[in-house]
Amino acid sequence: MKVQRVLAIARKNLRSLRHDRRTIAFIVMVPLLMISLFGYTFGGEVRDVSVYIVNMDQAPANQSIAASIIADLQSRNTLDVKQLFGPETATSASVALAREKVLDADIWAAIVFDENFTQTTLEALDALRGGSHVTPAVLQVLIDGTNPNIAEAVITEVQTSVQKVLVLPPNLLVPPIVMSPQLEYGEDARFIDFFAPGVMGLAAMMVTFMLSILSFVHERGASTLDRLLATPVTEGEIIAGYALAFGVVGLAQSVVILTAAVLLFDIQIAGSALLVLLLIFLLGVGNQGLGFLLSSVAKNEFQAVQLIPLILFPSILLAGVFWPLEAVPSFLQPVSYALPLTYAVEGCRSVMIRGWGPGDVMLQLVVLLAFAAVMLLLSTYGLKRRR
Amino acid sequence: MSDEAVLGKGMRKEYGELVAVDDLDLRVQKGLLYGLIGPNGSGKTTTIKMLVGLLSFSRGEAFLLGEKVPVREKKKLIGYMPQEMATYTDITVHENLELFAQLYSMDEASFSRRERELLSMIDLADRKHSVVSQLSGGMKHRTSLACTLIHDPELLFLDEPTVGVDPELRVGFWKYFAELKSRGKTVMLTTHYMDEAVRCDVVGMMRSGRLIAEGPPKTLMQETGTNDLESAFLEFSRRDAI
Repeated sequence: MKVQRVLAIARKNLRSLRHDRRTIAFIVMVPLLMISLFGYTFGGEVRDVSVYIVNMDQAPANQSIAASIIADLQSRNTLDVKQLFGPETATSASVALAREKVLDADIWAAIVFDENFTQTTLEALDALRGGSHVTPAVLQVLIDGTNPNIAEAVITEVQTSVQKVLVLPPNLLVPPIVMSPQLEYGEDARFIDFFAPGVMGLAAMMVTFMLSILSFVHERGASTLDRLLATPVTEGEIIAGYALAFGVVGLAQSVVILTAAVLLFDIQIAGSALLVLLLIFLLGVGNQGLGFLLSSVAKNEFQAVQLIPLILFPSILLAGVFWPLEAVPSFLQPVSYALPLTYAVEGCRSVMIRGWGPGDVMLQLVVLLAFAAVMLLLSTYGLKRRR
Repeated sequence: MSDEAVLGKGMRKEYGELVAVDDLDLRVQKGLLYGLIGPNGSGKTTTIKMLVGLLSFSRGEAFLLGEKVPVREKKKLIGYMPQEMATYTDITVHENLELFAQLYSMDEASFSRRERELLSMIDLADRKHSVVSQLSGGMKHRTSLACTLIHDPELLFLDEPTVGVDPELRVGFWKYFAELKSRGKTVMLTTHYMDEAVRCDVVGMMRSGRLIAEGPPKTLMQETGTNDLESAFLEFSRRDAI
């Protein structure tokens, strides 16, 4: 091996890069994007989980243990108390309303303190000190179990507050307050049930986007696109043909993932599998369009490949595939809500775990439909624009 | 009906400061084999791309078979072969031909007939079901030509059809072009191999986006007192530069 020849080859490669400013920009930007996104989202803890609190505890305000627990919960930002029903207003109707909100997925959980909460707790504490039979107070927590991370965060948070307020030694055999978590959805949901819809959306997005961007870069480079455009085929027909093909590819992939997930991991599909596939198809069609649009930015396959992580990493980290959106730092959350994958994943999760129908995931369907339509229109326009 | 297949009036294409096609007037009679010749970068490909509607005009206009560019009605009557081989290399010869036949809305029966005819003409009948990427360079070129001819167009634009083609196949290609002409088709092709352009009925010599001479090859050689088109081109270039 001759050093001189090795250096000659290396020099040639670096020289090629020198003339490709876009690639240099990618070499700098992509790792920066990756490290910042990973840093912010991996370090992120679940925050601002929206909850209702129904406090029916009739103890005087200055003695109420329920009030102290609530105050402690509100002193941190893990939970975002959207509505607090105090002892004056809280009734069983408030509990029903809170449960309704959990069922509609407007909030993640409802924490319910009953009328005798403080009294029962004090009696349990006395019994504990006296060594007699303890009947603990029950703290009812209604949780949407679709997202195990969030469910766990809510329970841990409430436990922490109870512990703090009562100044209890850890590992009590019979605690004075027991939690009664009631899962409204995803009763048997495991982590795999939570992320299977996410992985499916992510895979469909990746395959359609990558196939599209690489195909169009190739079509342009090989002049086959010129040849197509010289025939009577219209720009809209070319884009629609591509969208149909890649939408089907995304769909086929989803069927494979879904089947494997059911057979190997026994995941839940509480709702309609067809609705899940429709959501994925729309996502695939939209991403095909996005791939086309970005293919006009990339001059060659080399540049196209570098555009892939630019789209992929934000999607993996910010669209709620592995971590809930509540764990995304608030300044990045607008990005999460701008990502079509967020809606596809949320929609699939609602159908698969909550068993929701088309009417319940209308928002997700409409957003994905709009995404697909806008991408197709922009692609057609992009193809029509002659240099 | 006009007897011009191609009529360009003051065609101009600018890219910022660069003028690729400079107020070009073109007139190609129907049924002729017209060669646009000139060195690389003289504007031949840009001219063809403007005519087939792939590039916009900075100024001027053009008509194909009487219809203004970009044509719609007459698109079915036009065939275009880009400079690169421009076939889908990951599908078979037959699948490529079928794709273009369908884009031209050909019915099944006429496609089958036309495919048989073409494959025997370009001598690829036995490779019909081969994936294009597995074919030799020459076969790929022939496949590309067949894709252009599948719908039996009246007016053909062939951009550098003989670049990268071995001498034997090049002779074959010129034979196909002559055959097309004998069947009443109009062929407009570009080439920078000036020697082979003697086989054209009319030659347009391009330099810096302009036509510096036009006429039957013999006439152009006579006018310059030369024996080949390359020398004739150099002489016209010299006169143009003065």
